[in-house]
Amino acid sequence: MSCIETKSLFKNYNSLIAVDGIDLNIESGQVFGFLGPNGAGKSTVIKLLTTLIQPTKGKVSVLGIDSRKNPLEIRKKIGVVLQQPSYEPTLSVEKSMAKYGMMWNVDSRTIKNRTEELLSSFELQDIRKKRNEDLSIGQRRRVQVAREFMHDMELLFLDEPTVGLDPSARRKLLDFLKNKVKETGLTIFYTTHVLTEAEYLCDNIAIINKGKIITVASPQELKKKFGHEKTIQIHISGKDHSLDDLLKDIPDCKIEFNTGTVITIQSSNSEIVLMDILKILNQNDIPIEDLSAMPTNLEEIFLKVVSDSDASNN
Amino acid sequence: MHPIIRLVNRNLTIAINPGFLIWQVIFPLIYIFVAGFAYTALIQNVPFGNKDLDYPAFLASGMIGFNIMNSTLVSGIIIWNDRRHGMFEQIMSGPFTRAHYILSNIATIAIVGLVSGALITAVGYPVFFESVEFSLVTIPLIIFTAIAGAILFGSIASIISTRLRSSEGFNVIINTVFLFFAFVSTAFYPAAGAPEPLATAFYLNPLTYLVDIIRAGIFGAVTDFIILEMIVLVSLASVLFVIATKLLTKLDF
Repeated sequence: MSCIETKSLFKNYNSLIAVDGIDLNIESGQVFGFLGPNGAGKSTVIKLLTTLIQPTKGKVSVLGIDSRKNPLEIRKKIGVVLQQPSYEPTLSVEKSMAKYGMMWNVDSRTIKNRTEELLSSFELQDIRKKRNEDLSIGQRRRVQVAREFMHDMELLFLDEPTVGLDPSARRKLLDFLKNKVKETGLTIFYTTHVLTEAEYLCDNIAIINKGKIITVASPQELKKKFGHEKTIQIHISGKDHSLDDLLKDIPDCKIEFNTGTVITIQSSNSEIVLMDILKILNQNDIPIEDLSAMPTNLEEIFLKVVSDSDASNN
Repeated sequence: MHPIIRLVNRNLTIAINPGFLIWQVIFPLIYIFVAGFAYTALIQNVPFGNKDLDYPAFLASGMIGFNIMNSTLVSGIIIWNDRRHGMFEQIMSGPFTRAHYILSNIATIAIVGLVSGALITAVGYPVFFESVEFSLVTIPLIIFTAIAGAILFGSIASIISTRLRSSEGFNVIINTVFLFFAFVSTAFYPAAGAPEPLATAFYLNPLTYLVDIIRAGIFGAVTDFIILEMIVLVSLASVLFVIATKLLTKLDF
């Protein structure tokens, strides 16, 4: 079933085009990653999908409900953790969670049980009595995310939820989200700048730049589609400056002299280039200390996709 | 539970803290029982309607209006804090409409204003009970006026909170405006006998109208002038409420 559907979605602020004709079709029960550089339009899209703002043109349907006709019905069924912090400074952690549950009309027994569960899952027991204004940025962020699970929802929007979290808290949050999707069939719309997170968590990813969607695919498909170039590194002990001359005719390779010598091959034909280099090294009796092939990661793909898009726009 | 009731519950929880309660009770108490009796040597009797009130009774009844005004600062502070700490956006992305948010603020102001007024009435009762002339007409009049006054000052606080962007600006403006309202009014001293420009300024201030009507209700001195003041107060409250609502509706994310 389609959980989010947009058709020719367009939003401008005077002369600034924030969202430029976006078409999305997101199936239920998955984590959908929404990636893009700063100012690409990610948060504007989230505000449009959560009905905080209305589009200039185009159509948004969330959980089968038209966002123009019935925005309140959409908001009753979704959870939202926005990019900016949101908290009641004078309330304690547990009280703010309980009040949030009350605001969502959750019954008092469920509020009590869920507060305890979430305080435990997000490791907030030690700070449960602390006022929100006295928390660190990371603690406040954890409370903000935990609080959203006080109520039931079919779709959750998370706009950079791991900002300010340490690596351990970040991983725990990602695992918590994975389990929620698995156990409850929840759909998550997730934005982040940490691409390893997106790779770990997301079933599908859209990359947006300058208000336009550049590509939508699973992380594996993205790698297949854009990850032709592989990176191979050959480490040689000692600084052998004769390599500059020996490898000058080999394309797509770079030589760096640090504590030793590192030859980096970055090519879509990296295996062939590697064979050529190995041949030269062998012919010249240059011993290899280490050889490593680095798999293409999402970060490289992201940078490539965005820079290609910038180049084509220019 | 209705969304407005849920938001009022939340508003009251975040707004009413020990500091606020102490301020709302201790400050008027000091004023009524220290300043009230201290100034008796200077101001022995204050003519009001067909009565001569002693100064503590005059001041205590004025403090009811003053306290209603002060308590409605809550509205501005709630909106300001919600904007500043991201809760306005968070609430608006939840199961609420802007109308829910606005009406819950009005209900919060009315509740805080009424409770605050009742509190000072109870505290000040010993000093004005000799002159009190409550009736079936005056009690509803006092309650209605308290709500209208709360909406009026709550709207002013809301307008200020929606227009400003910095905390410093918000604090300076709100304190200046409310200080003017407090001291350029008949809450603490009568207009009669004040220099004419000051007496005129008193009647450019809605707190004067609020205080006059509450006093008239307490001391049974409802005259045609009080009815006129009532009309001005309610009209002004309605206009300011509409402006505050429009500004809140237009508040951008």
